[in-house]
Amino acid sequence: MTAPPWIDTRFRLTEYGETLGWPSLALRAGALEQAFRAGHGRAVIDGNRVATVIAALVAAERAGVELALRRPGAEVPDGFPAADGFSVLLPTSGTTGTPKLIRHGLDRLRGRLRGTGDHGARWLLTYEPASFAGLQVILTALAAGAELVAAPGEGAAGLARAAVAAGVTRISGTPSFWRAFLMAVGDRRPPLASITLGGEAADQPLLDRLAAAFPGVPLRHVYASTEAGSLFAVADGRAGFPAAWLDDGIDGVRLRIADGILQVNSPRAMLGGVAGKGGWLDTGDRVVVSGDRVLFVGRADGRVNVGGVKVSAEEAEALILACPLVADALVAAVPNPITGHILTAAVVPAAGADPGLVRAGVRDAVAGLVPAARPRVVTLVESIPLDSTGKKRRRVEP
Amino acid sequence: MDTAAVRAMIAEELARIAADKGETLPPLDPGTVFLGGGLPIDSLDLATLLVVLEQRTGFDPFRAGFRQFTTVEELATLYAAAAA
Repeated sequence: MTAPPWIDTRFRLTEYGETLGWPSLALRAGALEQAFRAGHGRAVIDGNRVATVIAALVAAERAGVELALRRPGAEVPDGFPAADGFSVLLPTSGTTGTPKLIRHGLDRLRGRLRGTGDHGARWLLTYEPASFAGLQVILTALAAGAELVAAPGEGAAGLARAAVAAGVTRISGTPSFWRAFLMAVGDRRPPLASITLGGEAADQPLLDRLAAAFPGVPLRHVYASTEAGSLFAVADGRAGFPAAWLDDGIDGVRLRIADGILQVNSPRAMLGGVAGKGGWLDTGDRVVVSGDRVLFVGRADGRVNVGGVKVSAEEAEALILACPLVADALVAAVPNPITGHILTAAVVPAAGADPGLVRAGVRDAVAGLVPAARPRVVTLVESIPLDSTGKKRRRVEP
Repeated sequence: MDTAAVRAMIAEELARIAADKGETLPPLDPGTVFLGGGLPIDSLDLATLLVVLEQRTGFDPFRAGFRQFTTVEELATLYAAAAA
């Protein structure tokens, strides 16, 4: 099989310590292509192994079918109409409920790849393979003919070990990943030549710690979203982005602030997009202008980032309040040096309820949420403090 | 509050956090690395530990910004210093 133009055949994948080159991937792609052609316009594949994802991308493009990448807890619903020809359908990460499906063309997924000229690079994959950010890293390494080191499902400790063992030179990860990574590697640091942060707002203390741990290594934080695609990268080591970009735009993307929310107008937005008037898309990110910078201060929907997962304090609180042994509850997002934020709950037991049973009830009430979306510390209290307007005092800090 | 007292608190609370997940925590040494792969905990569990330690000690050594730590002793020292 001839490699598609977006793969440099020098590419190697090291997944859980096993290394594969293009010939092995091409064999897998050939087998999948047969199956995809026999299908009905859409191929659905588990996206939890990088080798499978790459083979499926190649096969779906050759077969001219849509490829849906399945993630745990994110099934493709029946009746979702298939696209005409090759495209990639990605489930967005939701904490509960039905995940949204977002369709991308390969050209848009590849819109802003950086580092494709460095075939000597060794990349570490810190994202799920079947995610927007994960595909960006995979496609970059493929285009460069570089080595990609992956261990999907491993935590920061396992990834840090893999990074040190393989001597990886390029890592892209969320700020939460980098905090855990710094703690896990200690003094055994891989020979990094490039550091990228994305997926949540990069805070100044973390940027400073990375600059100190890896002196002289280029440090970028990127801003992208599943709906809007890749938007821009900031490389000056400072949090936020230059306020001048509100006037001048950046890399073809126009930016504006409406009611405190960042809006973007990008040529790389999703296919069949949801953009409003004139192509402007609401990012849902609250921003403020501070001097010559625009800084991110949280989500418009009140969601906060817990270890890279966007979670809702209100959602957890509603589940706890539905528990019959609970009289009242307040779930708050508190800043945390490891995960950015963490949820805590103050719970007022119903009159006469046994404290042990109340705790068990609270635990069961939130068991359906992903771990990051559950209140991690539950305190039993006599009452919930109210503010001067009679509302619960909810501490949500950026 | 000396570092030995904080270390005991860390061992007790981390054992509780691990037990909530159905895991058993091995004995901790002062040099045990939290996220080095030797303990059955992830970064969310470590984040939880910091919340509980703040509740129990009344101190938050990270209030003024992140302080680097990787081992049990390094974390215990941060709380003991905050309390001093």
